[in-house]
Amino acid sequence: MQKFLTRRAAASVVSLLILIVLVFFLSRLTGDPTQLYLPVDASLEARENFRNLHGLNDPLLVQFGHYVLDLFTLDFGDSIRKSRPALEVVLEAFKWTLWLALITMVLVAAAAIVFGALAAFRVGGVFDRVATFFSLIGASAPDFWIAIVAIVLFSVNLGWLPTSGTGTVWHWVLPITVLFIRPFGLILQVVRGSMITALSSAYVKTARAKGVKPRPVIFVHALRNGMLPVITVIGDQAAGILNGAVVVESIFGFPGVGKLMIDSILQRDFAVVLAAIMVTAFAIFLMNILIDIAYALLDPRIRY
Amino acid sequence: MRLITARLMGGIAALTLAAPAFAEGEITIALNEELEVVEPCMTSQSNIGRVIQQNISETLTELDPTNGQLKPRLAETWEAVDGDTWRFKLRGGVTFSDGTALDGADIKHSMERTVSEALTCEIGAKFFGGMKITVDVVDDATVDITSDPAQPILPLLMSTLTIVPAETPMEFVKNPIGTGPYILAEWNAGQNIILTAREGYWGDAPAVTKATYVFRSDDAVRAAMVGAGEADIVPLINQNDATNAATDFSYPNSETTYLRVDNTVAPLNDIRVRKAMNLAVDRDAFLGTLIPADAIKAVAMVVPSALGSNPDLKPWAFDPEQAKALVAEAKAAGVPVETEIEMVCRIGNFPNVVEVCEALQQMFADVGLNVKLNMMEVAEWVQVYSKPFAEDRGPRMVMAMHDNNRGDPVFSMFFKYACEGLQSGLCDADLDKMIADATAATGDARAAAWSPVFKKIHEDLVADVFLFHMVGFSRVSEKLDFVPTIATNSELQLSQIKFK
Repeated sequence: MQKFLTRRAAASVVSLLILIVLVFFLSRLTGDPTQLYLPVDASLEARENFRNLHGLNDPLLVQFGHYVLDLFTLDFGDSIRKSRPALEVVLEAFKWTLWLALITMVLVAAAAIVFGALAAFRVGGVFDRVATFFSLIGASAPDFWIAIVAIVLFSVNLGWLPTSGTGTVWHWVLPITVLFIRPFGLILQVVRGSMITALSSAYVKTARAKGVKPRPVIFVHALRNGMLPVITVIGDQAAGILNGAVVVESIFGFPGVGKLMIDSILQRDFAVVLAAIMVTAFAIFLMNILIDIAYALLDPRIRY
Repeated sequence: MRLITARLMGGIAALTLAAPAFAEGEITIALNEELEVVEPCMTSQSNIGRVIQQNISETLTELDPTNGQLKPRLAETWEAVDGDTWRFKLRGGVTFSDGTALDGADIKHSMERTVSEALTCEIGAKFFGGMKITVDVVDDATVDITSDPAQPILPLLMSTLTIVPAETPMEFVKNPIGTGPYILAEWNAGQNIILTAREGYWGDAPAVTKATYVFRSDDAVRAAMVGAGEADIVPLINQNDATNAATDFSYPNSETTYLRVDNTVAPLNDIRVRKAMNLAVDRDAFLGTLIPADAIKAVAMVVPSALGSNPDLKPWAFDPEQAKALVAEAKAAGVPVETEIEMVCRIGNFPNVVEVCEALQQMFADVGLNVKLNMMEVAEWVQVYSKPFAEDRGPRMVMAMHDNNRGDPVFSMFFKYACEGLQSGLCDADLDKMIADATAATGDARAAAWSPVFKKIHEDLVADVFLFHMVGFSRVSEKLDFVPTIATNSELQLSQIKFK
């Protein structure tokens, strides 16, 4: 296991280095941030001064050299727009996204596993049909639409929940609900499919023949074996949220990393773009390691 | 058990009350974007201005939006010493929120900091470019401000300069110190900014004692916050959301939309083609449909309340037949009117911009012009709007929205119409001289000098296609006594807000 982790870490470092090179040069291809930062009436002299101040007049390779040297001290440079260290700006936003992803995926996983397993127990039964119907609606409904309808209904008309923002636990309810719906529908279907296969296995039939009650059959015998594909999908969905739940962050005014990344790309705030991509890439690398460990724990046949 | 259940339900009910109960004197303002910095020398950016300008940081003079006149703020009086120099007498008894007294050294430092190359201040780049400003401290309460070249509107320029203490470092600050009625109590990045009223302000104590600014980029959510009791003022809502007469206000926002025409490339270098384009646009059809009904058809780059506005100028009539005749006449004279003309519009420039540009494209096509629409993101758009223009460019029009909220055409006309103007699509020696003369004029002669400039551009040169002086929409809680004005586009003085 330790060897495997070392190998994965080394591979990830190489990936991160390639990512740094790619993002640095590709972001520069989008153009000069001077035009976007200064008012359109700013003189050519003011523009030149801005470029000098931020090192934008240096040759691209020199800029890259400075950037890489600074990275050794975890200095991602300063945000041009916010006049603060880019890493500080990104970590501030990332903590919100991380919590959103963590809470949402825990709830999604718990609900989808329970409902998916129960739906698989009696395929074609009422519960299965209802669960399938709602999961398909959830997986296909546009999140911006759900978000706006939820705000109008629960905040404006009923006054039960805040429209947006942060501050209390109630501010998290609508964003998490909206983020919950699509992965829930998707993962429920994966759990259901995986469990149907598991429940038709010989060891489940044996357990039933021995008189084991339905609940242990589903949640002890079949579920563990049916979880491997489910974990893969959970990881994939969590990575999607970690990369930024842009719609939810924008509508609910959540100061997450997704909206920050989009804004920074549009404003050519290169330092923030790079820092945001590095932080999310690192988080996804860690998550993949956890998924690999979970595989080994769930299936003793898997050895790294 | 029943008691436990009742307590639990009561607790949940108390927590689930979504609408926060605001204490007396407290308001919440929902802005469309988070502030990137809280730096006084950046207050020409709308949202930074709405938080800081005249709330935390004050200016020497202040433009009165109701009559366009300058009024005293930190300077009690001002007078011209000579052509280049103005003398400002500072208000007595003014202190910064750190307890230090305002004096001439603060004015000098504020000016030097704003134009310093060590930090890029938007106020410096926007209002003080191309001139050298020197501040001489005569005594603690008097400063002489000299400009090179001479600026007859120097007192007006001083309505843009935010004053900071002389000790303020040459870098962007995170806790601005000012002479205004409020202090920055909290700045929770990404979440909110809180201002509270301060003791020791030189003016009247404001009715609003605490203001919380929150940031919501979604138009519908911002508008909904007032109805849900979560916000009291939303300075910017979408015109489609402005449906409640009791809370929603439209106000002239000092923005003018127009098509900047490149007068140097055929067929746009022919005045008949430019006249045809103006005659092809059915401006009335836009009003109340794609453009708010309260918008005004434009005849100049500045709003009608600006200095020197020419009341004799009339918008171009919608006359497609005459437009077709002019295009035919130009064609007969050898002008390549079939050449494809690029019309560049900016994504998200204003609500319905795509539909407006598509409609304009069709109107031009109806009179025989071959116009291709090109929607661009702001970064790409800025490059075609401002010089240096590409040498090998084809005929091009650029839709732009220009803001002149200072009331004097000098902030617009050189940039948009002089040969050296960064966004000028023409070069005319006579016009250059007229702009230079008007820029140097003072008093009543100044208004008289600007007026013919507008006529020359609109009627004689037919330089551009002017469209509309725009309006903005705000939503204000019914509990407040506050009506947005043209100034709301750039500042929001909390001390002007009262409770009913």
